[in-house]
Amino acid sequence: MGRIQSIQSFSTFDGPGSRCVVFLQGCPMGCIFCHNPESWDFNSGEELDAQTLLRRLGRFRPFLSNPGLTVSGGEPLAQPQFTLELIGRAKTQGWHVAVDTSGWGPLEPFREITQAADLVIFSIKHPLTPMRLAPGSNLQNTLTNWRTLATLKIPVWLRYVLIPGWSDEPESLQTLGVIANELPNLERLEVLPFNNLAKDKWLKMGKESPIFNGAQRKVTEEQILRAEQLTAWRRPNYSSE
Amino acid sequence: MEPLPWRNFQGKGWQDRIDVAEFVGDNYRPYYGTAEFLEGKTEKTSRLWDKCLQLMADERAAGGVLEIDTRRVAGITAWGPGYIQPDDEVIVGLQTDKPLKRMVNPWGGWRMVEAACEARNVKPDLTMAKIFTRYRRTQNEAIFRIYTPAMRQARKLGIITGLPDAYGRGRLIGDYRRVALYGTEFLMREKQKDLYAMDNVDDTTVHLREDIADQVRALERMAELGKSYGCDISRPATNAREAVQWLYLAYLCAVKEQNGAAMSFGHNSPFLDIYIERDVAEGALTETEAQELIDQLVIKLRLVRHLRTPDYDQLFAGDPTWITESLGGMGEDGRPLVTKTDFRWLQTLRNLGPAPEPNLTILSSPRLPEAFRDFCAEIAIKTSAIQFENDELMRPIFGDNYAISCCVSATRVGRDMQFFGARVNLVKALLLAINGGKDELTGAQVLEVPQLTGEYLEWDQVWHNYERVLNWLAVLYSRTMNCIHYMHDKYNYERVQMALIDSNPHRYMAFGIAGLSVVADSLSAIRYGRVKVVRNEQGIAKEFIAGGDFPYYGNDDDRVDGLAVRVIRYFYSTLAAQPIYRNAVPTLSILTITSNVVYGKKTGPTPDGRLPGKPFAPGANPMHGREKSGVVAAMHSIAKIPYDICRDGVSYTFSITPRALGLESGERTRNLLSLIDGYFGALGHHINVNVYNRETLIEAMEHPELYPNLTIRVSGYAVNFIKLSREQQLEVIERTIYERM
Repeated sequence: MGRIQSIQSFSTFDGPGSRCVVFLQGCPMGCIFCHNPESWDFNSGEELDAQTLLRRLGRFRPFLSNPGLTVSGGEPLAQPQFTLELIGRAKTQGWHVAVDTSGWGPLEPFREITQAADLVIFSIKHPLTPMRLAPGSNLQNTLTNWRTLATLKIPVWLRYVLIPGWSDEPESLQTLGVIANELPNLERLEVLPFNNLAKDKWLKMGKESPIFNGAQRKVTEEQILRAEQLTAWRRPNYSSE
Repeated sequence: MEPLPWRNFQGKGWQDRIDVAEFVGDNYRPYYGTAEFLEGKTEKTSRLWDKCLQLMADERAAGGVLEIDTRRVAGITAWGPGYIQPDDEVIVGLQTDKPLKRMVNPWGGWRMVEAACEARNVKPDLTMAKIFTRYRRTQNEAIFRIYTPAMRQARKLGIITGLPDAYGRGRLIGDYRRVALYGTEFLMREKQKDLYAMDNVDDTTVHLREDIADQVRALERMAELGKSYGCDISRPATNAREAVQWLYLAYLCAVKEQNGAAMSFGHNSPFLDIYIERDVAEGALTETEAQELIDQLVIKLRLVRHLRTPDYDQLFAGDPTWITESLGGMGEDGRPLVTKTDFRWLQTLRNLGPAPEPNLTILSSPRLPEAFRDFCAEIAIKTSAIQFENDELMRPIFGDNYAISCCVSATRVGRDMQFFGARVNLVKALLLAINGGKDELTGAQVLEVPQLTGEYLEWDQVWHNYERVLNWLAVLYSRTMNCIHYMHDKYNYERVQMALIDSNPHRYMAFGIAGLSVVADSLSAIRYGRVKVVRNEQGIAKEFIAGGDFPYYGNDDDRVDGLAVRVIRYFYSTLAAQPIYRNAVPTLSILTITSNVVYGKKTGPTPDGRLPGKPFAPGANPMHGREKSGVVAAMHSIAKIPYDICRDGVSYTFSITPRALGLESGERTRNLLSLIDGYFGALGHHINVNVYNRETLIEAMEHPELYPNLTIRVSGYAVNFIKLSREQQLEVIERTIYERM
């Protein structure tokens, strides 16, 4: 059985083509810029077995051009058994499966789960001092998991949220680039602009975050471009096929 | 010698009796190729369209109306010929003697003429005023004379709303192709035959005979109008230019005499394509010239205007005319009804830029040629100006000779007519059930219903009362419609359109409901959550506090979606049991146009937590922001609304940002087509496709002059965004636009 926070029936952001996204319930990272703080609690959410979940997703499948499924969270690695089973069953049914993780948790089952997927979307919160942004993170552990991806034959996308004043220091972006370059199978490095839309959610939940309490931070397209340049990452000649 | 009009045409049956569908079937050629053959606009079209754009800019600068002719009464031959730039006009004909000059149409009601003129600081003509107040009764006056107090009250409180008792009911599509194929002379002879074949035995027959006699007279006048433009439409068209011209003149007669809310055009592409193909084969027409014909026809359609009252504008924002033209569709013989001319119609959106009119509607099927489907999707993404309807759902009921009338309503061309029935506010009806039959805003006692007193709403009690209110409403609603259409037939009869429809047509009465998603969510809150009521001294709920974890409509959750379906089935079954004027068959729509804003304004707080005065969602849409599971789940919810009951149409307005639809254009096209196929496969009926960014709309609101052509789709029609009121613009911006958080 797994704990599900919500299901998104159509997305073009979380992997190639159009796909469904399953957000698992529970996350140990505690990111202070999180857009889904309601997904942290390990005890709430809806309990479902993989088969029932896939039956529900099956209703969405005829609407998708290349049916894909992204397992996201929460942190899917925090429900390793369920995630592994879901990926296995979904692949048998012909879904293209991506797993969207922060790289949390021990190397095993990380390796086993990512190996089972068709694509890994990996988000690094901060390449130097993640504790400031994600109290529950462990950089050593994240990087060990990251490096193991280099040994797998599946494509990887790296995601990084750009928050002015928090994650846009040139040395951080340069380090991010160095980390990115370690993976020959890295297909994309996406620098995502932070937005303030989750502010009300945080207020409603009675949570505090210095990021949302501050003035509205709008990230411009130029800032994104500059950040991308600073990483100096270029897609290697790698084909996932 | 004149060339024979029917040279090289196949088939015999259609030559002896009026049967355009058979003619089309015998002669059209499906097109399976790509859009590559299409041509741009000619210099003539360019010059003409530039002039029209200037005129439309002047019209906007003048506050929305350029000029009103107050001295003449609208009619087929009220004005002599009018032109824009005669040297550049390949297709001719205007409603009045000048482009964008509006007619006064008093047949619907004199008060409306006064209100419309007053709003524009113009004085109506005194003699005309005398005639239409003293000597000639109007539709509006006649209806109000026979309305019962209950009807007036329901209308005033906004329970029954948007009624065509103060404006033309529209909705009729004349088979304008008949004039091009047969000429008015032949049509007149056929009508006369029908007239003399009937004998006066009862009211029904005399009524019908008078109708037909009026139609014959209309055909005479239409020929006269044609002559004033140098076109002998009493005989059939002999080439493509004449076919387009005849078709347009027939339509022009309808909009000269009638200001019906929706005056739709039909499904004309395969028909016109036959003439174009014949001319091309004869070496008489090039592709550039063929495109010029369609471009110029569309220019003329974009210039159609009616004089409206401020009340009307509030309800139907943006000066719409609903010149709906259907494209695509599959033939019953398995061949697609897609021709090169279907592409040419879509091409007008590129040649002339996007615009709300004509209201282009794709009759969609996964079996349509791939290249055509791609082209439709591309144009939809680029312009947000076209809508899609499920041909696989409609064809089994209506055959393949149907077109969309008004927003989303299928009608067999030349065979059916519709009595347009506006809609009832089912949210207010629910509040009557909760508030002991009292109107929640005024406190007026509308009907007797047991007063609820508990601190929390009890499902059984609320549903029991709701059934009682729906029964009462169905009776009142159908009787109100009977009054309206009796008098409309009598005092404001559409003789032009009816002259181009079979003499004894099949009739629908198109009822409608508004506020479905608010009703479903409110019932869900009561049944699956806990709703606390705060009442005033009169016992009327002034606030609802909804608690508990109840499902919202739009998330593919059968519990709440089932409640929506239950309300619809219940209400329709009661409606269907009522006697209906001229034995019309009742249909139902879930459609609101832009009126969801006005309806919301007139509705108090609701048990789902919606605040008083807040807009409803448009048509069958889930309420803004309540679809938590994304677009596909929302589509599944809407697709559960049964089309076999809601044959007048179930409208869904879908908005998404370009990026959320896909990273690059090929991917967007593929994703849009699979969304539409999925939705229609799940038996969804209609979808408006909007692809834009919220920021663009906000900027257009601040700087309208920079966005004169920004077109968006709202519940069944398209509208020039900058022509909407501020309130309506804000509502559109508030809507769920699927994007990334």
